[in-house]
Amino acid sequence: MVAIIDYGMGNVASVQKALNFLKIESAITSDPELIEKSDVIILPGVGSFLQGMKNLKSKGLDVLLTDQVLNKKKKFLGICLGMQLLAEAGTEPNDNPGLGWIKGKVKKIENIPFRIPHMGWNNINVKIDKYYSQINEKDFYFIHSYHFVPSNSEVIAATTNYGIEIVASIQQDNIFATQFHPEKSQEAGLTLLRNFFNNA
Amino acid sequence: MLKIRVIPILTFNGFGLVKTKKFSTPRMVGNPVQAARVYNSRGVDELVFLDIFASEQKRKINLKMVGEVIKECYMPVAIGGGIETIDDINDLLKIGADKVVIKTKALKDAAFIKQAVAFFGSQCITIAVDVERRNENYMIHNKLGIERSLKEFVSQMEDCDVGEYVLTSVDRDGMMSGFDIELVDRFMNTTNKPVIAVAGGGDMTHYGELFTKTKVEAVGSASIFHFTQYTPMDIKKELLTHQVPVRI
Repeated sequence: MVAIIDYGMGNVASVQKALNFLKIESAITSDPELIEKSDVIILPGVGSFLQGMKNLKSKGLDVLLTDQVLNKKKKFLGICLGMQLLAEAGTEPNDNPGLGWIKGKVKKIENIPFRIPHMGWNNINVKIDKYYSQINEKDFYFIHSYHFVPSNSEVIAATTNYGIEIVASIQQDNIFATQFHPEKSQEAGLTLLRNFFNNA
Repeated sequence: MLKIRVIPILTFNGFGLVKTKKFSTPRMVGNPVQAARVYNSRGVDELVFLDIFASEQKRKINLKMVGEVIKECYMPVAIGGGIETIDDINDLLKIGADKVVIKTKALKDAAFIKQAVAFFGSQCITIAVDVERRNENYMIHNKLGIERSLKEFVSQMEDCDVGEYVLTSVDRDGMMSGFDIELVDRFMNTTNKPVIAVAGGGDMTHYGELFTKTKVEAVGSASIFHFTQYTPMDIKKELLTHQVPVRI
């Protein structure tokens, strides 16, 4: 069973709809017992970094998820804000600690000759193709004004170009994450999710 | 490279889909859930669904119906109509909306928009900018009797750091006679946010003109999909011939 973490940060229904389409059993939950019983954890989310961490902490989910993913090595997928929260810190309005599973910071996208937010379909360049077979170069749906800048470039699974190189996906041990929304990226997104669940 | 977006706009009157001309004489054009299913199967870039009478009729959007529309969509969906509170936005996000589109409340209460942006992030808040040309001035069309110039309204919304605009020319709505290029061009130079340009698309040359003469990166259309054989894919293929980046 897949636990889709419900912490009051947006679009959990769309993630579950995509999993239903792939016939993968899931529960939208913040119940520690259910999360401990799950085989895979998905952390979705839209909104602000500060609010996201606040909500995780208020339910004790920061500690629980860290134990499940870092100690128990449970398979994990973070989406959008759910990827950014893995960083050591967010930077707006000032430095706020994140979950700290991946070394690096979340920063505002700035000084680019393009419009902000980065909104729409952009193609990705795959660096680690564990889950990206058949979908290198494909377009995925992005919608964000902040981006994850990891300290160690070896964790970058894919990038996208928007005036600067933006980290589109991260892979570190049992942790996988995407800045884009696979659940909103039609065929390419569903293929990625299928690869993620099929590939141990 | 970011692709331009071609976005069907579904306008709803509380019962079914309607298409207006110059924001009046709504004509029934079908069932929203069926329309969403067709657009999903065609792989459109995004969908905008607006209950265009909700604010006027002082009612809330029908969440059950919107939920059924969103269920059909594996692409991003923006929903608007009668949004007045943070809870209204939360209700829409919970059933799978990615963005909300706000107009009336933005005209009445810019402070609310600021609050919504702080709560949900700017990427979630899209503002509908309905523009009518009066003499030589661009004014915000509304039924509240509020006199506000386009310039003044946009500067308020920029101050709130909203995420996106849906820019609609009331004069071109449903006319299928081409986009108001001057309006779009002028608007693109007043903001660094993404903009969806709406109203006027009637044949392929209109879309080529829009994307080659302005800096806009998204277009919204309704009439051309309801009343002609053209599909969003036809528009993209046309744009490809102008070297405009599209997702095929």
